[in-house]
Amino acid sequence: MVKVGIPRGLFYYYYGNIWKHFFKFLKIPYIISPNTNKDIMNRGLKYSNDEMCLAFKTYLGHAAYLQDKCDYLLVPRIDNFKQDNQTCTNFLSAYDIIHNTFEVKVLNYNIDLEHGEALKKGLIKIGKELGFDKQKIHQAYRYAMKKNEEDKQREITINLNKLKSTKTKILLVSHPYNTYDDLIGKEIIKYLKQNDVEIIYSDKFDEKITNKLSLNLSKDLYFKYSRDNVGSIIYAKDKIDGVIFLSAFPCGPDSLVNELVMRKIKIPHINLVLDDTSSFTGTETRLESFIDVLRGLNHD
Amino acid sequence: MKECYLGVDIGSISTKGAIIDDDNNIVASAYIWTEGNPVKAVRNLMRILKEQLPDSYILKGIGTTGSARKLIGLMLKANIVKNEITAHAVGTLTFYPDVRTILEIGGQDSKIILLKNGIITNYAMNTLCAAGTGSFLSSQAKRLGLDVNEFGTYALKSKNPVKIAARCTVFAESDLVHKAQVGYPKEDIVAGLCKSIVLNYLNNVGKGKKIEAPIIFQGGVSKNAGVVKYFKEVLGEEIIVDENSHLMGAIGIAVMARRHKTGHTYSLEMNNIKFDTKAMECTRCSNNCELLKIYRNNELVDSWGSKCGKY
Repeated sequence: MVKVGIPRGLFYYYYGNIWKHFFKFLKIPYIISPNTNKDIMNRGLKYSNDEMCLAFKTYLGHAAYLQDKCDYLLVPRIDNFKQDNQTCTNFLSAYDIIHNTFEVKVLNYNIDLEHGEALKKGLIKIGKELGFDKQKIHQAYRYAMKKNEEDKQREITINLNKLKSTKTKILLVSHPYNTYDDLIGKEIIKYLKQNDVEIIYSDKFDEKITNKLSLNLSKDLYFKYSRDNVGSIIYAKDKIDGVIFLSAFPCGPDSLVNELVMRKIKIPHINLVLDDTSSFTGTETRLESFIDVLRGLNHD
Repeated sequence: MKECYLGVDIGSISTKGAIIDDDNNIVASAYIWTEGNPVKAVRNLMRILKEQLPDSYILKGIGTTGSARKLIGLMLKANIVKNEITAHAVGTLTFYPDVRTILEIGGQDSKIILLKNGIITNYAMNTLCAAGTGSFLSSQAKRLGLDVNEFGTYALKSKNPVKIAARCTVFAESDLVHKAQVGYPKEDIVAGLCKSIVLNYLNNVGKGKKIEAPIIFQGGVSKNAGVVKYFKEVLGEEIIVDENSHLMGAIGIAVMARRHKTGHTYSLEMNNIKFDTKAMECTRCSNNCELLKIYRNNELVDSWGSKCGKY
């Protein structure tokens, strides 16, 4: 039986759960690379160029880690989610870069809603390539989507319940591949929790609602994931004490969108931009002072 | 015996110390270079402060701030360790309760703090890039063969500052070299540099923020008369530079040490205290964390840098 490798980065944080359920149903063995560590980061740096963002560099590291441990790598090519909902060019190029860099075969599926390439079509193609019949694949797809929806709703409920907390509430506006990465967001989350902050995650909202809400701030936001993030600010703005913008250097969409949003919103906020050279000391100063500002400690 | 409180602000470039009494009078103060060795700098600082402090005072609190605040906090057994933004705000509010804007340019950081009725309403700090801070000015002064202390007065001589790119210091530097090579007088280049610091700051840190008077400018760069002049010119407002502007962080953290005093009495004597740090790289997993172990009188008081929390 062939084994599929899933790099723990970028797309994994959006679709990993669907993939896992899909493969489980079809009993296809798969391997997910471990949490990002220095070794994976260094492998990634070796393959990347300086224009790529930190998250993409680590993604290449994950692919490098998996290349001799599986028969296929799963790397989607995500173009757009209909008009006005584009993804960043890194997402678009990932398939080709990995296909051309590593020897291992790459399972590919296109998501290009404008040209009728949906998530479903992609998974069917993968199922066929791995030798399953159509009926079985359809069952697996339905199962995966249903399971994923349940998991997602549970997470959204937990996230939204935090808005009622009596602690200091901070909305962390960041892409999930930064938020939950061990070398990017983990220490920030740890620090905030230690300081008794309730963290609300911008990616754990109902995207159908937040995507539309983003229009209140700007009508011509171009990137889907940015729109979802921006919408979460609008959704939560009256229930939170502050916003932390977290992005990986040099993220194109974030440098544009976060800048725009910071000029428009009236909530206290800070902007953190992380790179692989960052030590936590500078970040800590910013987080500590931000919490002080929110709690008005300077005024006791 | 009168009670007093010590605040120490250990920045990347300079180390500042201030001792205040219960009425916010500065009893002793010192400003020395950190020179890459905060522990040594603080030992020197304590010696200078000890000479200045009259015998009638008794030290009842120590606070540390600045980028080496945690390390020195352990060394001095401080009763409060706080970030420099809070410390600067508290220090400035002690002397200027009505302040609306604090501009601060230090050695590696630059920040802006907006206040209203004594409460911080907004602030920003430079992100990854350390462009337009004190260390840039001092390296450019060196390039031009000037002492950084005379840099400001030199800029005031100029009637016609050259235009230097304000976006990025790397561009600013190549601009500067170019201007020097085509023959612009030195004072015009220095003035242009001071102006580019101001524009850079307002574009990067101050962007989109409403800067309202009274405006206070502090941090090491506030001692540069040229930069002060161009802040005035660009903002069209009076810029207040306190004679103790370089000490504000230290004063602020001293005020906080007073607020959080525990009753413990401290000493300025550092000679009998042994303080060491040992760096090592952990090889237990692929993260290869750089660990720093801190010993006070040969006793391990803390260790930093571990991602897994094993140390």
